[in-house]
Amino acid sequence: MSKTSLTRRSFVKVSALAGAAATVGASMAGCMQESGPAEGGEEQALSSTEGLTKVRTSCHGCIQMCPAIAYMKDGVVVKLEGDPEAPVSRGSLCIKGLNQLHTMYSPRRVLHPLRRAGERGENKWEVISWDEAITEAATHIKDAIDKYGNYAFFSSVGGGGSYSFMEAMTLPMAFGSPTVFEPGCAQCYLPRWSMSKLFYGGDDQSVADNAVQEIFKVTDNKTEVVVIWGAQPSVSETAESGRGMAELRAAGVKTVVVDPNFSPDAVKADVWLPVRPGTDTKLLLSWFRYIFENKLYDEEFTKYWTNLPFLIDPDTKLPVKAQELFPDFAQTTPENTPAYVCFDLKTGAVAPFEYSAPADSAVDPEIFWAGEFNGKQYKTAGQIYKEEADPWTLERTAEECWVPADRIEAAIKLYAENNGGIVNGVASDMTESASQVPLGCMGLDSIMGRIFKPGCTMTKKASGVFGPTGEVAAPTRPLTYNNGFDGMFSDMYGVGAVIGLSDAENEARIKELGEKMPDSQRILNKLLQDRLGMKDHKGLYAWCHSHIPTVRNAIATGEPFKPRVWFDMSGNKLAMLGNAKSWYDVFPEVDYIICQYPHLTSFQIEAADLVFPLREWLEEPMVNMSQLDTQWLQNECVHIGETVSHSIPAAQVVNKCRELWGGEIPGGLMPGYLGSATEAEVKQSTAETLGAPDWETLQANIDEYVPHVTPDYWKYNQHEEIADDGLPVGFGTESRKVETYCQILLKLARNGYPFCYPEPQESCADYSPICVPIEPAESPYEGMPGYDAEYPFVLTSGRVPYFHHGTMRHAPFSRELFPCAEIRINPAAAADLGIEHMDWVKVTSRRGEVHARAYLTEGIGPKTVWMERFWNPECFDASQENPTGGWRECNVNVLTKNDAPFNEVYGSYTNRGFTVKIEKSTRPENIWVEAEEFEPFMPTTEMLAEAQTKDVF
Amino acid sequence: MKNTLVIDLDRCSGCDSCVAACKHENQMNLGVVRNHVSAVGPVGTFPDIEMYWLPMQCQQCENPGCIEVCPTGASYRDEETGIVLVNAEDCIGCESCLTGCPYGVRQMNPKTNVIEKCTLCFQRKNDENWEPACVHNCCCGARIFGDLDDPESAASKAVAAAGENTHYLYDPADLKPTTVYILSEKTAAWQEEPVEVTRYEKQ
Repeated sequence: MSKTSLTRRSFVKVSALAGAAATVGASMAGCMQESGPAEGGEEQALSSTEGLTKVRTSCHGCIQMCPAIAYMKDGVVVKLEGDPEAPVSRGSLCIKGLNQLHTMYSPRRVLHPLRRAGERGENKWEVISWDEAITEAATHIKDAIDKYGNYAFFSSVGGGGSYSFMEAMTLPMAFGSPTVFEPGCAQCYLPRWSMSKLFYGGDDQSVADNAVQEIFKVTDNKTEVVVIWGAQPSVSETAESGRGMAELRAAGVKTVVVDPNFSPDAVKADVWLPVRPGTDTKLLLSWFRYIFENKLYDEEFTKYWTNLPFLIDPDTKLPVKAQELFPDFAQTTPENTPAYVCFDLKTGAVAPFEYSAPADSAVDPEIFWAGEFNGKQYKTAGQIYKEEADPWTLERTAEECWVPADRIEAAIKLYAENNGGIVNGVASDMTESASQVPLGCMGLDSIMGRIFKPGCTMTKKASGVFGPTGEVAAPTRPLTYNNGFDGMFSDMYGVGAVIGLSDAENEARIKELGEKMPDSQRILNKLLQDRLGMKDHKGLYAWCHSHIPTVRNAIATGEPFKPRVWFDMSGNKLAMLGNAKSWYDVFPEVDYIICQYPHLTSFQIEAADLVFPLREWLEEPMVNMSQLDTQWLQNECVHIGETVSHSIPAAQVVNKCRELWGGEIPGGLMPGYLGSATEAEVKQSTAETLGAPDWETLQANIDEYVPHVTPDYWKYNQHEEIADDGLPVGFGTESRKVETYCQILLKLARNGYPFCYPEPQESCADYSPICVPIEPAESPYEGMPGYDAEYPFVLTSGRVPYFHHGTMRHAPFSRELFPCAEIRINPAAAADLGIEHMDWVKVTSRRGEVHARAYLTEGIGPKTVWMERFWNPECFDASQENPTGGWRECNVNVLTKNDAPFNEVYGSYTNRGFTVKIEKSTRPENIWVEAEEFEPFMPTTEMLAEAQTKDVF
Repeated sequence: MKNTLVIDLDRCSGCDSCVAACKHENQMNLGVVRNHVSAVGPVGTFPDIEMYWLPMQCQQCENPGCIEVCPTGASYRDEETGIVLVNAEDCIGCESCLTGCPYGVRQMNPKTNVIEKCTLCFQRKNDENWEPACVHNCCCGARIFGDLDDPESAASKAVAAAGENTHYLYDPADLKPTTVYILSEKTAAWQEEPVEVTRYEKQ
């Protein structure tokens, strides 16, 4: 038997358990017990968990990571449930978490390093040793860099079931390459996360990413209304934010839901606004108009704590500094706290507007003013916003956004008359309006004064979602660091300006850092300049990512350089990347593709040359994302095969490369890659995060260290405290105020400030500092650019509770409930096409065609359709006569649009709000829909008999 | 004792966590379920619509039709807990009980030739805090388990708090289902004979 002809299963160790396991096939739990659970007729005096070992852990079925309890028997996890002590999820565990029992022991698990044995796409593999795999990967990377230069290397992540955000971001730094991307990032969360830092230096409004916590407080909750703008917490984060919303509604909290689809949260909403996909900016502007016109805003907060009263220079579009109009003005505040100019209602004249507490202000600034000063016409930022919003009457908005005018008005009133805030999700990230929608959502909360207040969503807690962002004990002028989570690369490598320092302070700081680490500063600054797509979409600097379509074009054309060796750190790129076929077409241009994942997806089948086996979440130590002020342990409950924690393969490859080069990677940054190289390091860092001295102590005393509670987590009105300079603390922006007119975006567009610094990036067209109306590129309106009568429906997307991104399509208990892709169609529209409920239909866009079953519902408008991402691992099951990669049949990302227009700041493309046509079709070959068909995905006796194994590294 | 479920439809979001929790806890085969969640609606015309989800499982009837028609006595009521159960050893898989139950919540398991139904996780009855897996893991806090004969039980209290918003499944045969559904007009109007929207392979 040759090595290449061995299948993975041949390597499975058969233990004594296999015999017992073979007797029952129903579920993996049954496999490990002599009979099913005792029922009627049997005497049972024991607890149902008698003989099982209870292990506290956290789920990782989605990014929220709910605390959970695993029950073990004979080294196998036989049962999972939610941890009732978790403050928000309260014992809930959703279907994604529960079904980890099957993905953990799935016959699709990869337990050993695999080398491609046939052609790409043939799904033929040979098992190789870790030593061989690490050496092979390192050799390919080194050879490519030696031959073509550092920029030949690139990495990627994203798509669900992967945790390697930091790792993918920093791996190219180690190799001196600027290129990393993920189908999330600009399409998922980065725009909202990054914009909040630029807007006010606080936490963003994402209900999906643990950023919003205040509204879910169990005690002393002051939230009266929540506006869910383009998110469905009950579906995407079912057990945590979904449970939280259920508790809020039960407590009488009012909700408004903006969503084209009648999601569960829309079903329960007091007001549902089924907005036309991609037109949220127009709806937001109608809210601004109504709130301005009816004076519903918080006048004092808007006057003194936002930059809306500032006069804007019509030439530069930037706020005018006091010294520009009043040369004799003597500023009393520090250089890092500029004085601007307003129209003073006290004197009826244009006047300097110094930063101070509202009560100490020399002026009473007018928010809305236009007029002449020294022969030049000026407007306040507030006036500019008001004029932008002015066309968006309720009636016009109703017509363009497909929402009844009285509903819009009812929603605004509910929002304005009750304390609370706006939360959002990925919807806007997936459109051209990725920067403008968060500008609008935060803008509304800012003019309502709902920032840093109890019951709001815009807060700054003692611990941010990606690390500490809290104030220090003695308050100082708030600063916002840039480049990476919490601006971590700024001090590490000496790049990036700090928002809140004066120009002179920034210059001095960067000079000092440059002297301390000249190579790092030079290399990273150059990488920032050369990163693909950065000239136009500089907002991507926040997470150090490249612009995805520009990367694809570089691979295809070699311009401006050709990425050749690819290290991907997650699941199915073909199911997650927009216009998937355009990516499939460039795979032959990539010389070598390294993957890591717990199982094989379409992407590994079609592209991978080498696959590193990863641990599932029941196997990998980690700290969870926090619920309220608590953090919980994701525990190593079990470990099978030769799988490793997610950071380890790249760390081992980097170490091997350094060895091959004789010490250092030429052109690479040090430390470069940030990720543990061994399980011992992973465990130690997990223990330390939870306050334990080491892993053994943590394990012996879990109840003592878990949950880890962040002291003084909740902070309110911190902007009003007095800082060490005698002024109110304010916000981490240039003006020290909430920049509702997001002035820093103009500087960003013009030279990359504050990210690409000290050496600048080329300029591009200005970014809009406020929410402006955007019509989707593929408009359904005749006469509009991008209209095509061939494609009459607007397609949007959203999740279903069974899957997180690309995960769980091989989880049989998920698939039997939601077996295949569905497209939600209004019954009237379907009737016109002769389509009935559960008919198979073909959906065609200007990019391609896929199939789905029609789910007819009045929960979607007659001109809108809704479809979640799908891919089908059954397509390459051994039982298929004509196996395929399983990504062409039902994958909405075959339809999505990954070319211009992009979001100006972040380069986001159009996953939602493009147009399609729909026709009747038939079920594609290879697609399973009947429950029993998913039997090959059930845990096998061999998998359950896999021995508990030792750490590989 | 009247152990049963009280299900708050104002909270339920149709996430199917209860189905997965049940299937794992009770080691069910693919294609066999002891509970399911139906979408009721949306009714009305877009955008003036409403809907709710209806989790379905054994209703723990006071006069169970299934017991009445079972030829072997396999379907019975446990004296101690009041729960309707199936004795697997006595069940001959004749499916007679399906005709005695109008709610479609019993299903033949073709691999064991035994009828499957909700037991309220009877195997947990000696646990410190007996609650079915579907109740424990419910992502909406919508499911409450308890003895309706005990006014101090969580189930009784939830029913009392719900006032007029309590409902029972349509009961033309006077089986007296005990499962209580809570639904207020704010969410949607209760439908006596709901039209359930389901997924199935269209023939």
